[in-house]
Amino acid sequence: MNKKGFVEHLKTYAVTYLFIAISVFFIIVSNLDTTYVASQLLLRLNRNAFIVLALIIPIIAGMGINFAITIGAMAAQIGLLLTISWGIKGILGILLAGLITLPLALVFGFLIGRLLNMMKGQETIGSLILGYFANGAYQLLFLFIFGSLIPLSDRVRIVGATGVQNTLNLTGDVGLYKAIDGIWQIPFLTFIRVIGGALLLVSILLFAMKKMKLKSFLTCLVFSGILIGLFLIPKVAGIFDGSRSRVIRVPVVTWVLIGILCLFNTLIMRTKLGQKFRAVGQSQEVANAAGIDVNRTRIIAIMISTVLAGWGQIIFMQSDGIGTFQTYAAHEQVGLYAGAAILVGGASIDRATNLQALVGTFLFHSLFITAQSAASNLFGDSAVGEYFRAFLSYGVIALALVIYAWRGKAALKHGGVDLSERKAKQAA
Amino acid sequence: MSEETKGKKPVSGKRRAISLILFLLAAVLLVLAALGQSLRSKQRTIDNLNTMRENAVLHAASGGLIDSIANQASSDKLKELRADKDFRRMGLNEVNSKTQAAADEARAEAEKLYMSIEVTDHAAMTAVIDELGGDLEIAGNQEEKERSAYSEMYVELIDTVPDWTDLRDGAADEDALFDGLVSFVPDLGKEENAHLRENFLKLSNDKADKEQIADEAEALNMLTSSMVGAVGDFTEYSGMGDDEIWAALTELLPELEESGHKDELLAAAKEHIAAAEKGETIEEPVKDEGVETTYGTLTDYSYFAESPELSSFNEKADKTYQSLWSILVGLIPDLEKLDNKMANTMRENIEHIVWPGSDDFYTRYEAYIGQGGAEALTGSDARNMTLAADVLRFLVAGLAVLLFALAFTFWKGLVKQFGVPRTIIFLFFVYLCLAAVLYNISVPMMLGNVLERFGMYGILVLAMLPGIQCGIGLNMGMTIGCIAGLLGIVLSLQFDMIGIPALVFACAAGALISVPLGFCYSKLLNRMKGSEMTISTYVGFSFVSLMCIGWMMLPFNNRKIIWLLSGHGLRVTHSLLGSFAHILDKFAAFKVFGMEVPTGVILFVLLFCFLMWIFSRTRTGIAMTAAGSNPRFAEASGINVDQMRTIGTMLSTVLAAVGIVIYSQAFGYAQLYTAPRQLGFIAASAILIGGATVSKAKVSHVIVGTLLFEGVLVLGQQIANSVVAGGGLSEVMRIMISNGIILYALTQSGGGKRE
Repeated sequence: MNKKGFVEHLKTYAVTYLFIAISVFFIIVSNLDTTYVASQLLLRLNRNAFIVLALIIPIIAGMGINFAITIGAMAAQIGLLLTISWGIKGILGILLAGLITLPLALVFGFLIGRLLNMMKGQETIGSLILGYFANGAYQLLFLFIFGSLIPLSDRVRIVGATGVQNTLNLTGDVGLYKAIDGIWQIPFLTFIRVIGGALLLVSILLFAMKKMKLKSFLTCLVFSGILIGLFLIPKVAGIFDGSRSRVIRVPVVTWVLIGILCLFNTLIMRTKLGQKFRAVGQSQEVANAAGIDVNRTRIIAIMISTVLAGWGQIIFMQSDGIGTFQTYAAHEQVGLYAGAAILVGGASIDRATNLQALVGTFLFHSLFITAQSAASNLFGDSAVGEYFRAFLSYGVIALALVIYAWRGKAALKHGGVDLSERKAKQAA
Repeated sequence: MSEETKGKKPVSGKRRAISLILFLLAAVLLVLAALGQSLRSKQRTIDNLNTMRENAVLHAASGGLIDSIANQASSDKLKELRADKDFRRMGLNEVNSKTQAAADEARAEAEKLYMSIEVTDHAAMTAVIDELGGDLEIAGNQEEKERSAYSEMYVELIDTVPDWTDLRDGAADEDALFDGLVSFVPDLGKEENAHLRENFLKLSNDKADKEQIADEAEALNMLTSSMVGAVGDFTEYSGMGDDEIWAALTELLPELEESGHKDELLAAAKEHIAAAEKGETIEEPVKDEGVETTYGTLTDYSYFAESPELSSFNEKADKTYQSLWSILVGLIPDLEKLDNKMANTMRENIEHIVWPGSDDFYTRYEAYIGQGGAEALTGSDARNMTLAADVLRFLVAGLAVLLFALAFTFWKGLVKQFGVPRTIIFLFFVYLCLAAVLYNISVPMMLGNVLERFGMYGILVLAMLPGIQCGIGLNMGMTIGCIAGLLGIVLSLQFDMIGIPALVFACAAGALISVPLGFCYSKLLNRMKGSEMTISTYVGFSFVSLMCIGWMMLPFNNRKIIWLLSGHGLRVTHSLLGSFAHILDKFAAFKVFGMEVPTGVILFVLLFCFLMWIFSRTRTGIAMTAAGSNPRFAEASGINVDQMRTIGTMLSTVLAAVGIVIYSQAFGYAQLYTAPRQLGFIAASAILIGGATVSKAKVSHVIVGTLLFEGVLVLGQQIANSVVAGGGLSEVMRIMISNGIILYALTQSGGGKRE
């Protein structure tokens, strides 16, 4: 890596490094039990990663951060509500909820895409406000239409009035809590060793078959070595396997789903459709000249994102907290937290990868876990931590937007094309 | 456009057919309403209604009797079962089914006996019922009047008396205390309120008692805190006896001795010592935030008393009821056997039938139907009665369909003139006005509310104007200005300012603080041309969250505005009742036809609108608008576009600061922390509804938009509440209107229609 490349790298990932610094500082200051932090982090990572990964395709297709994924979450909540109402339990219930989410999210995604096509260059703010607007429609649906026009069973209705209860329970009789997470759980250390071992095995195999270059083989070797070696150190391993009662377990099926989505995000980029996403994202003018139906491609990107966000919300819900969900609020912060997370990972308004999404989720939530106790240790007041979390979420989005717009201006100064101007031109 | 004209002919035929059908439907509904109305005045209908009433009264009596017999049978059966030696082995279900069976049997028998009873002397019955209705109406109206007068006095008293203990201690005897109360609420001294004297004295005593207890607790708390603060390290006291500790403490803080709370303080000290020995510290309890959020004083009716006049009315109604009762007993002798509780319930039922609270046809009809009064009618009579009762529903539905038909027919013209959402909102507003009249909602009062809210939001909406004119679009980051204004308010509270000076100070301080903030903000936006709205939204959000930490950290120390127990950090909601709440609203306010006009605040808003209008005519104003509408042309003609944008943004920020002060004085409370976050959206939707776009706006858009938006919200809320109970529907409406119009504006600005 030469010097210029290094500076460029620092510039791109300034936010990420800043967050790493703050995270480390917070973890130290918060004085929390390391096992607690580690288990919470893993839990939140597997809970949130799917939704964050759902943001990638619209970013590549040049539509910015799709804050309208809240609408996908709403579709998922409709699916879950019906599932609970019909009393279908366990993994079957989750599958049914996912199945209901699919057509709903496709239709919603189509409509979102149509609307965003009418406001090119303003997609980020447009999708945010669209999310707010849809929240109104959601309230209307859940307060006045469900239970009167659409029949529901008594376990979700407010008995004696129309509308759905304020909180829905997923535990006990309903049997949806941890329906995916709980299928197969193994200790974290076993999980990490299996992953490391598999990576080692596959890379050796590929190298032997001469399908892998030496450089990437060495990288894989070192990486898997770190993975296995690091967790052989008793102190590190102790965090995850302190004593019998404190073994951190990993929900394998959820991780497999996240892995599949990463793979999907990578593979779709190699298809014709993926090429179209990339082309449209780079320049709508050029894509149009090359015979790509720009509007249609953008709509497809948003539809995929909405469906994925819906499924992500189901994964989130079945794992979240103590197994209850706030009917009227569970979807509200989905877009904000996911958007902030992917930006923290180093993504920008027009660039994003799986790794950035995962790293971002990891960092963002490490702050989330520690902010409260860190603030209470620093300022003697835990409420400050709460506000600091909110500030970080909004602040990182604002910062990313500013940096993006700034870059556009800088490019213009160096003889490039101003991004916003370009967008305006495309729109005309 | 060419596509539309191509396909115009066949479409318009279909459209014409649909609109014809809609008009027909509206006509049918309206004719039905008219028919119902004409039925209402027919003698036969009136007779039928009276028959229903009579039947309902009889039903209420016999139904109550039957219920009580069935209950009796059920409890008898239960007693019998209990006596049975097999009772313990029976399941709950078996017991239930047996008692139910016994009750059903008794009910069937009783129904045979009592359901077919008919009134013998209709004329006498009707006369008594009419008389009772009249009596109840008079008594009911009187009670309502007295209760509302009581409530007014109660609220005024609670809101104005600063210290109940002082009031009580300052008065020599009851007369003096009462005079003290009258000095706060002059109405209390009136002759007609003499009967309330005893109860208000009791209220005053109770309040003073409660206050004293709270004061003592607070004083003890303070003492404990100062004790903890003075000692510092409690381990020094470890191992001492009680007397030794007390001696040491009083030596340190002599005022502890005088407090008279030796036991409590000693106990607290010992707790701290025990904790210190273990190396812990005791955290002070944190006050619950939820306490602050109730607005206004709720009336406690437990101190209400009837006036002699009301008592006499009630006595009269009592007597009439007794004669009705004797008629009923004459018809159904077994009524005598009822116990007191059942008889009282029955009386409530019957009285509700005889006087359902209003003379209105629909109210009466519903009250009778509820008690099975419809059984007296058959065939066309029953149908006619339903028609007559539902006049209002037919009328509302008919008008809605008519409005829809008109909108459908003239859609294109309307949309061309106003745009889709504005047309919908305008039609919605017209419909709400109609419905308000039909639902008997007092229109003048509503209009008064709309004016009040106009004054409340006017300047905040006006703050959007310079932003749009100078070319930054919808300035969602005006929350920055709002926070500056809130800082101004909090500063005025910190210095204990009151009245007009406080208001002027808050405005001035807010404006001053907002100037540098607005300047930095505008510099940022000048580098972000093309994506100002996105950036400003998130910068606004971030600033609100950042200031949440700021509100916690800023060194305010007036005990009226900070969290008392933690001793730092501003509270969430600050009542302005003691400083400048409603000061502009009440200035030269007057009442016309029941409509309250908040003259002061309206004049203030209009003054600012006028100033903005003047500004837009000045050289700078014209240059600013030019820079906003066509930056390249402006640049070419020698205007410094960036400078103009800076001026516009700063103006917008300053207006937002003044706006939030005016908003808070109209609201009566200043809300900090996350409260200002959505204000930008509200202001943006109002100006857009008024006809502005993201690149063009005028002062008239501000005035029209605020009136229309607030009008829809105020009317919509009232009507939504009378259609569906609970506040949910109006909130949904607000969310959808507000965000819908912003979305529409975005599609208009971005979607290929840019000039």
